[in-house]
Amino acid sequence: MDFLDVFMPVVWFVILALFLLLYVILDGFDLGVGILSLTSPSEQQRTLLMASLGSIWDANETWLVLMGGALFGAFPLAYGTILKALYGPIYLMILGLILRAVAFEFRENAINKRPWNLTFGIGSLLAAASQGICLGTVLSGLPTDVDGHFIGSPWIWFNGSSLVVALTLIQGYVLIGSTYLILKTSGELQQLHVRTARLAAATTLGGALLITVTSPFVSETLRARLFDPAFLPFFVLLPLLGIALIVQLFRSLAMGQEVWPFVYTVLLFVLSFAGLGVMVFPAIIPPSITIFEASSSVTSMVFMLTFIGVLIPIMLFYNIYNYIAFRGKVDIELDKA
Amino acid sequence: MDWLADTLVLSRLQFALTAIFHMLWPVLSTGLAIFLVILEALWLRTQNPLYYRQARFWARLYVLNFGIGVASGLPMEFQFGTNWAPLSEFVGDFFGAVLGFEGAMAFMLEAGFLGIMLFGWNRVPPVIHFLSTVMVAFGANLSVFWILSANSWLQTPAGGSFSQGHFHVENYFTAINNPFMLRSVLHMSLATVETSMLVVAAISAWSLLAGKAEAFFSFSFRLALVVLLVVAPLQVLAGHESGLQVAEHQPTKLAAMEALWENHAAGEAPPWTVIAAPDENGGRNRWAVGLPGGLSWILEGRPRLSQDVRGLNSWPADQRPRMVGLIFYAFRLMAGIGIAVTALMGLTVLLWWRTGLTPAFFRRQAWLSWCWILAAPAGYLAIESGWIVRCVGRQPWTVYGQLRTSEAASQLPAQEVLLSLSGFTVLYATLLLFALVFGARIIRQGPDLTLEPPTGPVRGPLPLPTD
Repeated sequence: MDFLDVFMPVVWFVILALFLLLYVILDGFDLGVGILSLTSPSEQQRTLLMASLGSIWDANETWLVLMGGALFGAFPLAYGTILKALYGPIYLMILGLILRAVAFEFRENAINKRPWNLTFGIGSLLAAASQGICLGTVLSGLPTDVDGHFIGSPWIWFNGSSLVVALTLIQGYVLIGSTYLILKTSGELQQLHVRTARLAAATTLGGALLITVTSPFVSETLRARLFDPAFLPFFVLLPLLGIALIVQLFRSLAMGQEVWPFVYTVLLFVLSFAGLGVMVFPAIIPPSITIFEASSSVTSMVFMLTFIGVLIPIMLFYNIYNYIAFRGKVDIELDKA
Repeated sequence: MDWLADTLVLSRLQFALTAIFHMLWPVLSTGLAIFLVILEALWLRTQNPLYYRQARFWARLYVLNFGIGVASGLPMEFQFGTNWAPLSEFVGDFFGAVLGFEGAMAFMLEAGFLGIMLFGWNRVPPVIHFLSTVMVAFGANLSVFWILSANSWLQTPAGGSFSQGHFHVENYFTAINNPFMLRSVLHMSLATVETSMLVVAAISAWSLLAGKAEAFFSFSFRLALVVLLVVAPLQVLAGHESGLQVAEHQPTKLAAMEALWENHAAGEAPPWTVIAAPDENGGRNRWAVGLPGGLSWILEGRPRLSQDVRGLNSWPADQRPRMVGLIFYAFRLMAGIGIAVTALMGLTVLLWWRTGLTPAFFRRQAWLSWCWILAAPAGYLAIESGWIVRCVGRQPWTVYGQLRTSEAASQLPAQEVLLSLSGFTVLYATLLLFALVFGARIIRQGPDLTLEPPTGPVRGPLPLPTD
């Protein structure tokens, strides 16, 4: 194989991982706030929660669209195989995302806000749960024929280990959503979400431990990778760093810090993500189809890289500008007027 | 009810349903965005609060519409993987890349600046706010470009070769700039602006008829009319050009659009069929009303054909589209609405010149208001009809001449697709209903005429200079 035949699929694997990571962090707190809105004690507080997302939810969701397009272009085989295998959860996720998006706009104009509050919260929960199911199913492996076409059952995603991943991801989203709200709100509402953050940190930790312990039993390939001597230092270091971050997170919550809980949570997401990435690489359809088998042509990947690669820093720039423009506590009066 | 157990039929129905529903929303997201740019430019230039209030009022409709557009766009992208996995594999090299570009260039731009456009009036300096509105409009219109380029490529694949079940791109620019691209992008962009202006004009006409906020809606009606003065005639021209490119590149679609069953040789002067009752099984029209000698005038602008025109019967049944009646009438509906709207625009401009189009005139001439109120749904109908002609007329191919729709579909259990199709049907019917209810509420409430423009310094030190 030529250098580019090896290099370009790896580059696109990294770009896809970046898009997915950005999505999981950004829409993660977005969906987390949506789930938390189900517990808001008053309409006023719920309005604040939703206002904290007003200027950003759409851009956050766009990282998913971008990830989909990039996967389609760079690894068409994986796009077809994975989405077809996950038919059920993909449509449930879409349903959840549609419900929460329209609830956002309809609630604004509705006199009776309750049905839309419920739609928003349940849509967020459904989207998060479906994403967890998708993640869990892909990690535990999709049976394919030699050409990489899915040959498993349409119910492959319906099992215990995917459910554990889904529940953990929901907890993770609630955690990052809570720490985001600590950043964006004050007073009683902020205190409420310090408590939800603590709770969610504990349950996320539990879920992560459960996934780590059970994953060697779920998939042979994952087991082989975990106990591969070449990766041993990485898989020893990872949990140690994770524990350090969790400790720091609890400390910063106890100290009443506003920014650090969010930062530590983001770092925890990055860390878990790095772990998952190293576990599956170079598979794009675990367990057996690699990025080299599923990739589009080198010319296609080079062409996409010249266009999309240049745009990545630009996209990051104006997204960051958006966050800077709306920085600080939620201020409904200022943004409405 | 065999089709209930036919995955291919169900997947096609689902794509049709989700595409028809999705298409309702990007119309305003792209067309009305341009209107908002014009309004904000006027506001920045003149500092007249009227323009500021205009921008804020129309933005309320814009945002209601926008959320549904984003959400209903998701199944469009993901369906290529779930229901059309063989297609994804076949054309991923090009088609996937283009969807990726659309995400990175268009959607993200639109989404990244939308927050500032809607909520940032007191957060950023006026110039930055204006630039954000421009970026939203630019992003939305870029996505028209990419989607139409991708769809045009399905109509006239170019820029590479097909082998071993894959399309291999040799030249990306040729593929993007395929034969259908330019005229299709133009036709669709004009359609979104035209229909958006029809929506503005309809809401303005209704409010004037009801005697609401007369100065406000007189202005928006006239501004929409001025834009239509340019756009509507151009669209008739662009539509005609699009028809000619079909004649050149997709003879089966042309034959279905015109319900032509028999061949016509060069030198003949066949009629142009106005209405007909196509009989697909018999391979003929049961009856037809035509303009004598009309076809050569429409296709070539001359009294006799200079080239052969093929009829549907000259292709084997599995090489030409079915549902000829649908294609035939959808085309007439679209073209008829385009021409009727242009005539209505011309008449109203004439009345403006003669009478000044005062609010009192609107109340006296209720018929005029009603024509404009009906023109808005007609605009949407024309767009949907156009897509039906374009995509049903392309059948039996998904990639024209290269990949059959039957080969492009995923092998899935039919119940699974039936379930998602039923879900979309119920969900979308409900969403449409509520969107209309809330849209009507915004229109009835009307603009806030006491809204004061932002004054004084924007909040806090900004990361960019505040000129």
